[in-house]
Order: sequence, then structure tokens, then C-alpha cells
Amino acid sequence: MVIDFRHLPSRSGLRLALGLLLTVIPGSAQVLAAPRMAHPTIILKGEDGKNVLTTHKPISTRKTCGECHDYEFITNSFHFQQGKAEMDPAFLKGHGFASFNTSPGMFGKFSILPNRQLTPAGVADAADVDLTQPEWLMKCGVCHTGAGISEFDLRGRKLLSTEAKPAGSLDPSYTIRDRVTGQVVPWDWQKSGIAEADCFLCHTPKSSRGDRRERMAAGDFRWANNATLAQSDIVLKDGKGGFTYNPKAFNPDGTVKALMLNLSDPPLETCAQCHGFSARNASMIQPIQHADILRGAEKAGWVYNGSKISETVSPKILGKETMDYPWDVHAAKGLSCIDCHFSPNNPGRKIQTDPEKHLNYKPVSEDIGEYLKRPDHNFARGRIPPETVNITRHNTMRGCAECHDAEQTHLFLPYKTQHFKALACQACHIPEIHFWAYRSDEWAFLMDSGGSKITFRGIKGDIVDPDAEISGYKPAYVPTPAKDGHLEIRPTNLITGLYWFDPAKARPVFTWQIQKAFFLDRRPGVGWEFRPEIVKAFGDKDGIIDFPQARFDTPEKIALVQRMLQEQCGIKNAQLRIEVVPWAMSHGTMGKKQAIRDCAACHSRHSILNRPVDLDDFLPEGVPAYYGGKLANVVDRSGKEPVFDNRPLLRSFYIIGNSRVAWIEVLGWLAVAGALLFCIIHGLIRILGARKS
Amino acid sequence: MTTSEPLYSLHERVWHWIQAAALVLLVLTGFALHYPDRFGIFGSMARALSWHTWIGATLIANAFLGLFYHFTAEKYHHFLPRMDDFTVGAVRQAHFYLYGIFKGEPHPFETDARQKLNPLQRVTYLSLLNILLPYQIITGVLMWGVTRWPGAFEAMGGLKLLGPAHTLGSYLFLAFLIGHIYLATTGKTTLGLLRAMITGYEEPSHPAQPEE
Repeated sequence: MVIDFRHLPSRSGLRLALGLLLTVIPGSAQVLAAPRMAHPTIILKGEDGKNVLTTHKPISTRKTCGECHDYEFITNSFHFQQGKAEMDPAFLKGHGFASFNTSPGMFGKFSILPNRQLTPAGVADAADVDLTQPEWLMKCGVCHTGAGISEFDLRGRKLLSTEAKPAGSLDPSYTIRDRVTGQVVPWDWQKSGIAEADCFLCHTPKSSRGDRRERMAAGDFRWANNATLAQSDIVLKDGKGGFTYNPKAFNPDGTVKALMLNLSDPPLETCAQCHGFSARNASMIQPIQHADILRGAEKAGWVYNGSKISETVSPKILGKETMDYPWDVHAAKGLSCIDCHFSPNNPGRKIQTDPEKHLNYKPVSEDIGEYLKRPDHNFARGRIPPETVNITRHNTMRGCAECHDAEQTHLFLPYKTQHFKALACQACHIPEIHFWAYRSDEWAFLMDSGGSKITFRGIKGDIVDPDAEISGYKPAYVPTPAKDGHLEIRPTNLITGLYWFDPAKARPVFTWQIQKAFFLDRRPGVGWEFRPEIVKAFGDKDGIIDFPQARFDTPEKIALVQRMLQEQCGIKNAQLRIEVVPWAMSHGTMGKKQAIRDCAACHSRHSILNRPVDLDDFLPEGVPAYYGGKLANVVDRSGKEPVFDNRPLLRSFYIIGNSRVAWIEVLGWLAVAGALLFCIIHGLIRILGARKS
Repeated sequence: MTTSEPLYSLHERVWHWIQAAALVLLVLTGFALHYPDRFGIFGSMARALSWHTWIGATLIANAFLGLFYHFTAEKYHHFLPRMDDFTVGAVRQAHFYLYGIFKGEPHPFETDARQKLNPLQRVTYLSLLNILLPYQIITGVLMWGVTRWPGAFEAMGGLKLLGPAHTLGSYLFLAFLIGHIYLATTGKTTLGLLRAMITGYEEPSHPAQPEE
């Protein structure tokens, strides 16, 4: 039996009594060392509300978990909705989103990773269909855990219900573009089933993202939640693509044995499955799991690990011998994800302030029972680019300063308040990332895999090669809005996208359209075959297009693809666009010994704040660059490789020792030089005059 | 009157040299802040900033003591241009600097304890002490006091405005220092004025002379 006192009603007195009891029972420490949260034993129920052990049907979390917890309330949160609940064009326009975005979240927002757009409801032309709801679930549903997106269509009707019917043959909730034929075909929800909220993925320590991914990618949504339990011995694979239940995992009364399911607060490892490599103490860093690069690693080289870098066995970290410090100082101290990204209405963690009434502590909290029934899954979070989902509820987590009294610990630092205002803590405390991350993702030129051209930073060699040497990388610095709205400088990885834009439709060109322009066809077993025109223009003598050739280094090559897009897809005057996207760093935090302390690091002509971070091997001339969705002159092509020029972004900052106002420098030095010149000439004439006389 | 009365009193000399040392050190530490990667003579930037702050405070205190002295000793009139013949005097002095000095002509204005400064010096020091110095003190103090008076700091444009403004003042002070040091060699002898600011007397020996 496992008891967590925090989750017992405080008024009952039971908490104190049990606490006293356990302190005097021999072996109670062992009890306390077991999983953190007690959960009553439960019956796993199917959609019909009956025990799945007897019906052998898929588990319904709506029926199982929803019996005690408010399923609708929980799933109406950004972890489940991913923007689906924010699909309001006026709202999006008000927040400055481009018109081709249908939500601020992953479900509806265009990203250069991976150049796909959710098809909005109401399209009338097959050419306007890109990513439909079923395909989104197959691609992204492994992490985005069901409920909102996988239970309701874009018009809000419950899938598989009597009222859920497609509005025409192109309804994106009921269709999919066939990968081989390219045709938009109906999706059979009866066959796929729907994926309810996957509570197990986060709340059971032995959850299996890999098995869930298999089911979701296969379009077998119905069994996805069962698949998540595939490593728990509660469910067993039946060999036919389905699952059976292991009777040994159940109690005689039909409930699941508590320690088999082990429901608990989300441990570090379950969050890590989707967000980035995280571990308390791991010497093997595995950023690629279940054929997926973990998102945090992909975007910013995220390794949240308490182990010392010097103790890393794999992969090869260059210079690790001298890195006698943890990958992340917070991980080393044992902080788990929910310590910062907590449920906002958890009475034990909730920020009980009321700024409007000037209360730093508001002595009223929700009842624990109410919280357990309706735990808010809009987890506390910061506000970092480019994440925009749940945009009205950012900055809900505790900031660094709410745990650390930085004024007391930065005695070496002059003008602390100004530094703390101008710089995010991460600016000094994440001086570099000792791992690799995406550098560029070019969807303007497709490789013979049919996919984009990707480059990485911080690694010499292939990311799947254990012998590849990882040198890590140093961040770029960009201004981002702080909690109170003022701009602060924050470290970030930069991922540069090169993609085609359709001016007539005012949206990026779809990947399937680019594939049509580049390839003759996809032949089974052969792969993607380039069109002869493409090979002729881009290929080498042998007709092979390697990485170095896959670039738009002449206007003729750009014109060729524009012509192909027009001929094959009817897209007139397609435009190439560069987009530089910052992916802010929040993990990989260093302690005081590794943090930047040298003033001249920032306050000098060669300030790290203006570090010219490389963007890509090559970016074509004359192509407009976008940053934050707006045209911005942030690409410096004057060197060998295009680099990031953040000066236009940092204009509102004056950094002593680094910033210069040109006319003041000119005027000032003219005054000094003028005085010197006057003295020299005047003195010389005096000397010569004295000699003559 | 006797020539035994020094051209510059002890108070004036002490005030001048404290001011001079402070200005030179402020320029040097200012350079260490503005060009930290090229001018690291004070070690770390934080140390240069600390020096800059303390020296600045010294300069301000000395400036106020000087102001107090010049008013209480009624010596402020040395800095006030004489309005009746300022233009003529200024032209005569300029003519001397730009022409007469090369020809070995005598100084157009004799200096003594009652009239220490020529018209051009008067207008220069008056501007320096009443415009440039207060300007530099205000911009500097506002930057130093950003945590104490953030409202005033922001109202004055914040670092974005105050930083460059203070830098411009520093360049002008440096230009003045160069010119000032050079023009100190244009006394009756090359080192005469320097000697006067050290010993109080321009001449190497200063026997008492009977009054005329």
C-alpha cells in the first residue's frame, strides 16, 4: 500500500494519525520509498462501462477515469486540445497570426517543422486539402493524447455519434489524402475507432509511447490507449494487432492490482517520452526513441539529466572530461517536471497570489477533493518562442526568482535589477548546449526520400551514429516578452526553414504539391524518383543529387521549380521564403560555476549577444527572410555561410561596451581628433617659429 | 599689490588637481567601460565600473566644494566674462593664439591674482563648469541611480538615451583635456602655467617687489 499524505483530506485528521503511525512502524521508510501517489484500485472499463477483463474490449478512459474525475474538464486543456479549442479567426488575427494558421497550437498552426497545414473545415477544392484530422492523429497523435482532437470533429461533433457526418466529400475530419495515389479519400472512423484521452501515457510509470505510436501511426486509434499499457503486463499483444488482458494483473474483484498500474503523479520519465530526453541520472543519452527524435532534443538539444556530463557513456561528447557538472542543475537536485509545470489548481502547488488586491499570499485554496475531481491540465508554463498554444494562459508557472533570491546570490553583479530585467536567467545560466539540435529544415528542395533537407548543429556526423562527435553549440540571443510584457534577452536555438509560398492562396505550398513538382512518382520499393528536369538542373554528372547540390544557387534553379509547381499543381509565381524560428532554451541549466560571469562576454564589441549563429550551409540570395512571422533583416550573407544577425531585434537595448550610436561616435572622435590636430599643428608652428627667431 | 600673492591659492590648486585627476581617471575608466575588450587596464569591467563610480562621486564632491569656495571667497567673478569688452578681448586673445604667439608677441592680457583668466578662458570654463560638467554629472548620476530612481531614469530616456549622451559628454571632456593641457604650455614660459598651478607662482622665483 502506498500513501501520499498530501492527497488526503487535510481536515480529517487522518493525515496526522497515519503519519504518526508510519513513523513508528518498522519498515515504514520502505513504504514511503515506493511510488509517490496512492490511487484506489480501479476497474478498467470499456466504452460500454463494463470490465474489459470480461468483455475484452478496448479500455475507455472516459468510462474508467471519468467515473471519478471530470473527464470533460480535464480534456478541455491545451495538452489535449493543442489549439482545437482556440480556433477563432478573430482571436488569431488579434494575436498576429498569419491567415493560414487555424489555431495557435500544434493542431492548426503552420510550422516549418514539418511544413504541414491542418486543412480547415469547409474546403471545396481537393487542391486545398493537406493535413486532415485523421492524418494529423496518425502523425502527431502519439504525443497529443487523445480526447479533444481524436474524439470530436472540427465542427465539435462527437465522432462515431449519430450526428457526426461529413459535410461533403472533402471534410477534413472524415478524409485523408492517400499517400500513394495522392487522392483525397474517406476515412473510416468505424474501423479506426477514436482515441480517448490517454491518461496512462503520463500517469503510469511503465507507459509505452512506442507501442502507442505503432497503433496511432497505423490508424488504429481504438487500441492506442491499450497499447500504452503494453509494457505493464496488464495488457498483452494478441498477435493479431489487438490486445488481450492478463488475468494475473487483476484482483479477484476485477480491479487492477494497484502496483501493476501504479497510477501516480507524472514522473519525469513519462513527460520525457514526448518532450525531450530527461532522466534523474542517466549516462546513456537517447534522444531518438521509437524512430522519433524527441521534440526537445530536435528543437533545442534538450537534455534534462541529473548525471554529470563527464559521466556520459554514449553518445560521444567532445571535451566531456572537463565537464564535471550535471547536464541540468535542476535535474541534479531532483526536480521533476511537475515541480514547475504543475496543475494550476493543485492546492499544494498553486500560486496563491492576488496581484489585483496586492496579496502575495491569498489564504484561500481549493479543496483537495475538488482538485482531485477536476485537476486543471492547463499546466503551469512560461512563455517562450515559438510556443503559442493556450496563448491566454502563459506565464502561469513560477519564475526563477520565485524560488531563487537572485539579489542575494549575485553579489559580483553590478546593477542587478537592470541585468535581471534585461536578461532572462537562462541567458547566463544556459551558456551553451552540449548536445545537437536541428539547424535547418528545408522543404523547398526535397531529397530522394521525399522529405526535407535537414541539417544539424553541434554534431560532426550522423545523429544516429554512436561514434559521431557531439561538440554542442552556443545559443543565439533574441528578445522575448517577459511576464510583465517588457522585452528580455533569452538564449535560443535557431531553426531555419526554406519553403515555397503560394501568393494566390496566401499560404505555404503543401508538401504533397512540392513532391508532385519534384518527383515523377513514388514507386514501391524504389522510392521517390526525381523528374528529369530536376536532375538535369541540380544533379552532378552521374545524375545524383547530393546534399551540396540540393540548393538554389542560381535564379534558373528557382525558376525551374516555380515552373514545375505551376505545371504540376497550378501554383503561379510561387515564392521562396526563408523563416528563422527561435526555439528558446529552458532546460540544460547550469549552476553558478558554469554560468556566464564575465562582463565582457556581453559588454564588448564581440558580445555573445550579437553572436553570428550559423543558419544553414547556404541560403539563396534575394529571398525574403521572416522572423516571428514578419519580414526581418536577420540573415547576414556576407560571410562563407549565412549567419543570424540579431541587431535589428536588439535595437531597443543599449548594452554598455557593445552598443554604439554612430553619430555620437563620429562626433566624439572628431572632437578628440580635432583637439589633437590643433595642438600638434599649433605646437609645431610654435616650435618652428621659436627656432627661426 | 605685491607679486608675492600667488596666482592660484592653495584651495584653487588642490581643487584643480583633484578635478584634473578625477577627470583623467573618469575618462580612462569610461574607456574601459565603453571599449572593454580593447582597454582592459582596470581588469574586469565590474572593477572599472566601481572605480568610475567612486571617482565620479569624488569629482562631484570636489565640484561642490569648488563651487562653495568660489562663492564664499568671492572668486566666482574670475569666470564671468566682462560684458563691456568681452568681444574685443576675445578677438584679441584669439588673434594671439592664432597669430601673435607664433611671432613672439606678448600676451594680450596680463594675469595676476585679481585677473587669472583671459576672456576665452573665462567663457570656456564658464561653459565647462556650468554646462558640460553638470550635464555629465546628471547623466552619470541618473545611470548610477537607476535602481534608486528608476522613474527618473526612465523619464530621461533610460539607458538607450542616457548611455550615448554620457558617452558624448566624455568625448567632449577628452577633447577639452587635450586642448587644456596643450594650452597650459602657452604661458610666459612653456611650463610657467603648470608651475603656477603647482606652486601658485608662474615664475620660478618670486621675490617681493615694492608696489608701484
